[in-house]
Amino acid sequence: MFACIGLLAVWQVASLALKNDSFPTALEAIRAVPDILGDKESLINILASLRRMAIGFGVAVLVSIPLGLLMGRSRAVAAFFNPLLMVIYPVPKAALMPIIMLWLGVGDITKTLVIFLGVSLPVIYHSFEGAKAVEEKMLWSSAAMGLSPVQRLVRIVLPAALPEILTGCRTGLVLALITMITSEMIARQSGAGNILFNALDMGQYDTVFAMIIIVGAMGICLDAIFERVRARLVRWSEPQFDMPLSFS
Amino acid sequence: MRWSRASEVRDGMRVVPSRSSEWVKPVTSKEPASTIIEIDRVSQVFQTSARKDHLALSDISLTIEEGAFVSILGPSGCGKSTLLYIVGGFVSPTSGAAKMKGQAITGPGSDRGPVFQEFALFPWKTVLGNVMYGPRQQGVRSTEAEAQSRTLIEMVGLKGYENFYPKELSGGMKQRVALARTLAYHPEVLLMDEPFGALDAHTRTRLQNDLLNIWERDRKTVLFVTHSVDEAVFLSDKVVMMSKSPGRIRQVIDIDLPRPRRRNELLLDPRYQKYVVDIERMFDEVDETGSPL
Ligand SMILES: Nc1ncnc2c1ncn2[C@@H]1O[C@H](COP(=O)(O)OP(=O)(O)OP(=O)(O)O)[C@@H](O)[C@H]1O
Ligand SMILES: [Mg+2]
Repeated sequence: MFACIGLLAVWQVASLALKNDSFPTALEAIRAVPDILGDKESLINILASLRRMAIGFGVAVLVSIPLGLLMGRSRAVAAFFNPLLMVIYPVPKAALMPIIMLWLGVGDITKTLVIFLGVSLPVIYHSFEGAKAVEEKMLWSSAAMGLSPVQRLVRIVLPAALPEILTGCRTGLVLALITMITSEMIARQSGAGNILFNALDMGQYDTVFAMIIIVGAMGICLDAIFERVRARLVRWSEPQFDMPLSFS
Repeated sequence: MRWSRASEVRDGMRVVPSRSSEWVKPVTSKEPASTIIEIDRVSQVFQTSARKDHLALSDISLTIEEGAFVSILGPSGCGKSTLLYIVGGFVSPTSGAAKMKGQAITGPGSDRGPVFQEFALFPWKTVLGNVMYGPRQQGVRSTEAEAQSRTLIEMVGLKGYENFYPKELSGGMKQRVALARTLAYHPEVLLMDEPFGALDAHTRTRLQNDLLNIWERDRKTVLFVTHSVDEAVFLSDKVVMMSKSPGRIRQVIDIDLPRPRRRNELLLDPRYQKYVVDIERMFDEVDETGSPL
């Protein structure tokens, strides 16, 4: 919180010192925020963005977690998907957008698909690593209790890997926000990114900075909410003691 | 359903007096008893990372009688754990076969309950959740499973810790939970891999006593891996001495000591002392001859 206020203060001082047209003061930008949120059309745009983000993120998580877990516990599944993912992994998902736009148009599907791709990889990767690290003896113990392979995946591997999976989801959430904005920057038709870049084109710099504040605030809020949920879910795995930074 | 289970438990209790009289005289392999586990010419070859074959177990044959407490003793790396994993059905042997009640072992089953040195508790479950897991999986109703589990938790001395998570327990407490969790689903055979190896001497002694008390009460078959000679002699009817590189059975020693065994009496008993000294000497020989260096 203090860090945020500090950042805004630095911004204010810097912009006053530079006196540059394209660098409004923090106060000007903040004053523009209610204008954007009060405007019906802007609000619809932002909500449409959030909806795409929620769908892209949700579907990505639902697909990626089972896939990652299966890859982590089955060499055959890993061997099948690994080459594919290794090709997709380093490619910036936004760079795929022109092709996807060509096939699926510039509408919701394209943008949601890009968000989906952006979120999938970290979630798959962390689920995979989490599943691989599950202690073998834990799986053996549960097998002796009569759990079938599928039951072991759902009832042992999933909870055991949950801390790692949620780390992936948290990265995925931030990536969802990033890919949401970039996708709307490339396919300008609606959304928060659309408002931002249109304002930039028209030289409305206070709107540009206000949008950055709005998107940033959305990111911080989503991350904070997610972190609360995560901490609740994996309380059993949190370390018991803080590491003292110095013994004095 | 509920009543039949309750009567089973009562039956289990009733068995005790009739059997304990049997136990006043030492039981040896000469006494007729039904074989529960049969290990038949089992060998295990591992591929090492250097792509060389490593013979971990060579031609192991062993029969274990129902209700016996059998310890496997041997130097580090002689294949004790591997042998236990084969009986558990977690690892299938390269050649030979292990049988349980005449049936070839092809995978894990709830008739054989493992207790691992690493505890392998479910960290997202409380103590109670861990102990209840097996019975719940086997379809015991949750109120009943909970009641049984609470009794077991009390039996292993963890009353009051039911709602603790594994990370909140000490090593000895985790080991007790692991034991209770396995006992909870009533396996016919307990497979214990150095369960007390990581514990301090005092906790170790206490858990040995607890285990003996539990065992003397419901007389499960126990296959117990250890590298402690006194532990093996104190607990067992039979000690299987292994040598290493490759892992082989060197000798099977019957421990003719009266039961119930009390530690304070046994430590003063010359027969006990002789077993320990003899087996320790044998252990030294095995360790020297079997060394790969
Ligand atoms: N998965 C594996 N791959 C390759 N070699 C293995 C594997 N598991 C065990 N071994 C080898 O088999 C031998 C026996 O191992 P095992 O763990 O059964 O020994 P142990 O008697 O239980 O030893 P300790 O007392 O130290 O636990 C060792 O030499 C080990 O290197
Ligand atoms: Mg071992």
